[in-house]
Amino acid sequence: MPKLDAQFFKPFIDGTLSTLKVSCLTEAKPGKPFIKGSQKQPAFEIAAVIGLTSSGFIGNITLCFTGDLYLQLMSRMLGEEFKELTHELQDGAAELLNIIFGHAKVVLNSQGHTIQKAIPTVIRGHALETTHLGKQKLIVLPFTTDVGEFHIEIGAEETNGMG
Amino acid sequence: MFDLNTKVLVVDDMLTMRKLVGKVLKELGFKDIIEAKDGAEAWATVSSTNPPFGLVISDWNMPNCTGLDFLKRVRSDSRFIKLPFLMVTAEAEKGQIIEAVQAGVTNYVIKPFTAEILKEKLEVAHKKVSGG
Repeated sequence: MPKLDAQFFKPFIDGTLSTLKVSCLTEAKPGKPFIKGSQKQPAFEIAAVIGLTSSGFIGNITLCFTGDLYLQLMSRMLGEEFKELTHELQDGAAELLNIIFGHAKVVLNSQGHTIQKAIPTVIRGHALETTHLGKQKLIVLPFTTDVGEFHIEIGAEETNGMG
Repeated sequence: MFDLNTKVLVVDDMLTMRKLVGKVLKELGFKDIIEAKDGAEAWATVSSTNPPFGLVISDWNMPNCTGLDFLKRVRSDSRFIKLPFLMVTAEAEKGQIIEAVQAGVTNYVIKPFTAEILKEKLEVAHKKVSGG
């Protein structure tokens, strides 16, 4: 059965770099992945979440941005300056995650995973933090850009083929 | 290439994506761009608009009526058999592309895409429908 190891996370990193570069005209640099809780993470104001379901595991992926960074990315993506995180602007986080997920899904499924389609949702608030339940392994993939830092959290739990 | 006065329908459930596609189309010179937020709204718009649309650019993964369902509906109507239809999606698995081709898609664009990529895809789509 395919494993949730470094090879599993690589397509998410590659997808993030290409998505930011092409859609937001922003070069992102990946940092060293770490287990959630082992290092301090910045709080965030907007995040997109997508469910991860396959025959071998269940979990979720969360793409987290501070408000300032998100506005900068959306301004670059849409070619106009945004100063306020409006309701109209928030689905961009879901779209970015959708593209990252789509890239990773194609690569991982070609390696034997059976990841299914999913539709992302967006959460917004002040100084948000995530908490994951169950026995999920929680990996944080940090990234830096010229306009700030953001991260992706991947939580997944193997289901021994029953998922 | 398409006449820049062509009426274009952009279909996506994500407002930011509709804005992004619209921005790229404007950069390419298109002026008449209409938006719909899912396949159901898109079908209602396409089937009732006159003069008709000359190009559809649709997302695949949408609630209510997916891009594929919308495409099938379009192709089942004799008025729209030759309507150029580009599918834009983040999920580019082989089986999916085959499904879209079998349903009659004119061309396929994988996200993320640049203005240059969209232009190339539009040129290929135009050649296909004009027999060039």
